[in-house]
Amino acid sequence: MQSQIPIQARAKARDAALRRLNRLTAGVAVGALAGVGGLAIVSAQTIPGTKTASSASSSTPSDTSTPATPDTTQAPAPATLQPSSGVSSSSSPAHVVTGGS
Amino acid sequence: MSNSVLWYTTRGAGTVTLVLLTAVVVLGILSALRAQSANWPGFLTAGLHRNLALMTLVFLALHITTAVIDPFTNLGWAAALIPFASYYRTFWLGLGVIAFELLVAVVVTSLMRNVIGLRAWRAVHWLTYASWPIAVIHGFGTGTDSWSIWLIAITIVCAAAVGAAALYRLIAPSADPLAAPRTDFRAAVQKREL
Repeated sequence: MQSQIPIQARAKARDAALRRLNRLTAGVAVGALAGVGGLAIVSAQTIPGTKTASSASSSTPSDTSTPATPDTTQAPAPATLQPSSGVSSSSSPAHVVTGGS
Repeated sequence: MSNSVLWYTTRGAGTVTLVLLTAVVVLGILSALRAQSANWPGFLTAGLHRNLALMTLVFLALHITTAVIDPFTNLGWAAALIPFASYYRTFWLGLGVIAFELLVAVVVTSLMRNVIGLRAWRAVHWLTYASWPIAVIHGFGTGTDSWSIWLIAITIVCAAAVGAAALYRLIAPSADPLAAPRTDFRAAVQKREL
């Protein structure tokens, strides 16, 4: 009977370690999900993408959906560019700059 | 869901995937050293390494899926699965596909280790050391946020963690209690063969 005490102690230690493993895994999963959300917000703040207004153009807004070669690295909008979340102008077509990673 | 939300999610998931992959590599290096203590048994390192590797694949799938279904980029699944098949930033996206496929190979062979044997598993597992830097280069080449301070800081921390772990593995003595007898045995066998 005495020899079972260390075995029981080891079993308890193993169970505790397994519980710790489960907690750590769950914690990392929650943290990673929060990280995706947080970093998406940071991404949106730093490089939000832009919509450009072209006053000389007469094309329709539907032209903006899938340009052949999107450019994802444009700097945040200067005076002539506006954030992607808004519509640029009622009389001008919008060009969403997004895509890639 | 708007194109922008998909784009932001792609960027966020890509960065989180890099952090998770870094953790997996570091834990893999530490488990090879058999580092353990009374409160941290060896199987905890190995178990966390395995769980995080599977989690990395999940977030990598999120990164790839949001990039592919984003209607603005119009990448298509071929670009996500076949290296250098993308019309857009062909080389850098191709590196990402290679890193993804190396990681899938490592995870699949790990799940099939009992079937393929230890030697084949170990040979494939070394590919992780290629997958991680390729993923980092993919992020810098393709990533919109390549030169954002926050991404540079995260990448530096990840590189430092992997570098420190690799250095530790090179200089630290093995915690394997049978390491010395094994070395002596191999030396004796080689001596007899000569």
